[in-house]
Amino acid sequence: MNGLKSFINWLASPAIAVTLSMLSLVGAMFYKPIWTKKGGLVLFATLVGGFAFSFTDPNFRIVATMPDNVPILGMLFLVGFFFWYAMYQAHLNDARLSVGLPPLEKDDSDKKVFSWPDLVYVELVSLIICSIVLIVWSIVLKAPLEEPANPGAAPNPAKAPWYFLGLQELLVYFDPWMAGVVLPTLIIVGLMAIPYIDTNPRGNGYFSFRERKWEIVMFCFGFIILWVVLIILGTFLRGPNWNFFGPYEYWDPNKLVPLNNVSVSEIFWVKWLKTALPTFWLKRELPGILLVLFYLGALPGLLGKTLFRRFYEKMGMVRFFVGVNLFLIMFAVPIKMYLRWIFNLKYIVNIQEFSFNI
Amino acid sequence: MTETGSAGVAVAENAAAAPTRRSFVNWLAVGWLAFAAGVGAFVTTMARFLFPNVLFEPPSSFKAGYPADYQVGEVDERWKEKYQIWVVRNTEMIYALITVCTHLGCIPNWLPAQNKFKCPCHGSGYYRSGINFEGPTPRPLERAAISISPDDGQIFIDKARKFLYEKGQWTDPAAFIKTT
Amino acid sequence: MSLERHWKKIQQQVVETQIWKSIFRVGIPNTNRKRVLAMLGNVVLHLHPVKTRKSGVKMRYTWCAGGMTFFLFLTLTFTGLLLMFYYRPTIEYAYGDMLDLREQVPFGIMREMHRWGAHAMVISVWIHMFRVFMTGSYKPPREFNWNVGVVLLVLTLLLSFTGYLLPWDQLAIWAITVGSNMARATPLAGNEGPFAAQLAVNGVNLVTAGSDARFGLLGGRIVGANALLRFYVLHCVFIPLVAAFLMAVHFWRVRKDGGISGPL
Ligand code: HEM
Ligand code: FES
Repeated sequence: MNGLKSFINWLASPAIAVTLSMLSLVGAMFYKPIWTKKGGLVLFATLVGGFAFSFTDPNFRIVATMPDNVPILGMLFLVGFFFWYAMYQAHLNDARLSVGLPPLEKDDSDKKVFSWPDLVYVELVSLIICSIVLIVWSIVLKAPLEEPANPGAAPNPAKAPWYFLGLQELLVYFDPWMAGVVLPTLIIVGLMAIPYIDTNPRGNGYFSFRERKWEIVMFCFGFIILWVVLIILGTFLRGPNWNFFGPYEYWDPNKLVPLNNVSVSEIFWVKWLKTALPTFWLKRELPGILLVLFYLGALPGLLGKTLFRRFYEKMGMVRFFVGVNLFLIMFAVPIKMYLRWIFNLKYIVNIQEFSFNI
Repeated sequence: MTETGSAGVAVAENAAAAPTRRSFVNWLAVGWLAFAAGVGAFVTTMARFLFPNVLFEPPSSFKAGYPADYQVGEVDERWKEKYQIWVVRNTEMIYALITVCTHLGCIPNWLPAQNKFKCPCHGSGYYRSGINFEGPTPRPLERAAISISPDDGQIFIDKARKFLYEKGQWTDPAAFIKTT
Repeated sequence: MSLERHWKKIQQQVVETQIWKSIFRVGIPNTNRKRVLAMLGNVVLHLHPVKTRKSGVKMRYTWCAGGMTFFLFLTLTFTGLLLMFYYRPTIEYAYGDMLDLREQVPFGIMREMHRWGAHAMVISVWIHMFRVFMTGSYKPPREFNWNVGVVLLVLTLLLSFTGYLLPWDQLAIWAITVGSNMARATPLAGNEGPFAAQLAVNGVNLVTAGSDARFGLLGGRIVGANALLRFYVLHCVFIPLVAAFLMAVHFWRVRKDGGISGPL
């Protein structure tokens, strides 16, 4: 039992957890048996079983039952369920589409019904269920209220509201101006750009996976991995001093985790060339600056000529470059995380002189 | 007005009464510019409105007792809650570290066993000198102006004056009190 | 007479009173004509078209997630209004009022409903967005409405975030301290942001802790009295108004873009 628990603790460490969830998400999306009723049941049973097992652990119970964490458990099940449900319906439709039938929604979409009563009653029922759930939830669970505000002492750990914990997790890997300003802005811009970048006319108005594989995989990668998984990590696995703790680990405020991080300039000049760091910032940071310029400046063009040629031709230049840059920036997030985990890398570009660190 | 033909006379007559097209366009431009300037001015005043001139925030300077109140080799936390200051004394000097994490402003904890300041928010760590060595923060803690008050010999700390390591300001005589 | 007949009879009588008729002109919508009139004559129902595509009515398609979000927004508006009767947004009173709301007010679950409802709304917006994406409903002609939705998503998060400060407890002040400190890192406009220190005239910095983006947001250098008041006003008045306006646009566009999407 303890062996199993420490194995799971190990699996949950950020590097492994993120890797595993990326692989399993993409893998699962292409593995059809999951997206059936049986697959859903197995998935659900695993999730519930996992939780039931975990709840026997006192350390897990403490964290999972903090009042503000309860909605996250709810979110976990809801997002999981609806993810499965969307993919389930998508695969039903795909099976029909592959033999030349129209999607299931088509049968209905030609018919019109009176909004009274068909629509109004559905809404009424949802509304009543929603109210009941909310009222029961409010009676059972008190809203948390901690000690009065004290500007002189921060709680340990000090956490943002749960829906921003993904961003807070990014703060470990990026400077505040990136994690707090640039990346959130780009998330919003990226979401807004979706309808204009995506020129695929199919899959409009019905669930389908095979007609829009790329779009769905990319969106789910962003939503599930970079948003939801990071929230879970930040909520359940980050403890005192923002150290990582496995799900069954005691939140020990004195846990010692050395984090000595280096920058590209140090690796390049000191470790490889065995010289001192140049004093002039441009020379010192040139390797990192070139890396960034290559990634955002040259890579899109290269991809357009090679791997993504098909997209370039279909989308046209402007769409392609906007899309590919958003794509690259999204992937810069896990890339930087991996650089940290593997090389302890702190900054790619580190120009303290202008507080400009990437 | 360049219209010709039988209607020309009538047009010319009208033109004498009404502004010409060119002057009309000029007036239009002036009008729009004035409008834009007005909107701009309004937006500026609105933005300025968000920045009050007077603040009611706690005072930033205080007297912190006598140098003899502080042990050599100790990080003193007595002013942490009230003024967000650690007073550190070593064999040579006394300096005042501002307890605000330079990452995103949480209050780190002093962990004597590990001989470091550790921030609960994202795990930045600082040596007792205030220099950062781990975690996401880009720079060391800040030090506050510290001096011996000439009237009563007490330590006087002024948080409004900050000294940054990365700008080479920690060697400024106002950034520490020499004790040897 | 059976119970059902009794019930029918009472119903009949109520519907025939002058009061009822003056409110609901059409009576029970049991014919197609009356169903049309019921939808057209009621200002709330009139949000909907008279007839809807059958696929759009089904739970399996919309999950009613957008509707749920809207309903939660209404619930939050109402419970929030009740909380405003007791809550005073000042450093002296805020926390104490929270305690009183919990202990001294009969049926003191308004705070709970407001807080859990807010969490639920955040979750249901995400699920709504996910459903819209998975059905490809952002594709033409609905690009604009997707964008209105993205703004609503941001507003929902901001509503939650500004509300988080109001209890004035440790959770609140530190979450907002960390969150608002990110504004300090805005390039050029925040005093710790890239290139801000380079904006100086004669060696005097233009962007300082007393003049940067964060200062403008909080009305001070610290999360203090001004910040509490500002967040209160944003939370209770400004953001809800903007969000309500955009919801109106959102619903209007759902109809104008051809109703709930469906295969062409
Ligand atoms: C406060 C937040 C929001 C509210 C109250 C809201 C409400 C609604 C409602 C009631 C509908 C009708 C269909 C349904 O229930 O699914 C709808 C449709 C739609 N929503 Fe939202 N929504 C919100 C946020 C969003 C977000 C975040 C997005 C996307 C980023 C979005 C994009 C759309 C689109 C494109 C449609 C049309 C879907 C179709 O025709 O199938 N909305 N919204
Ligand atoms: S605020 Fe101290 S590490 Fe982020």
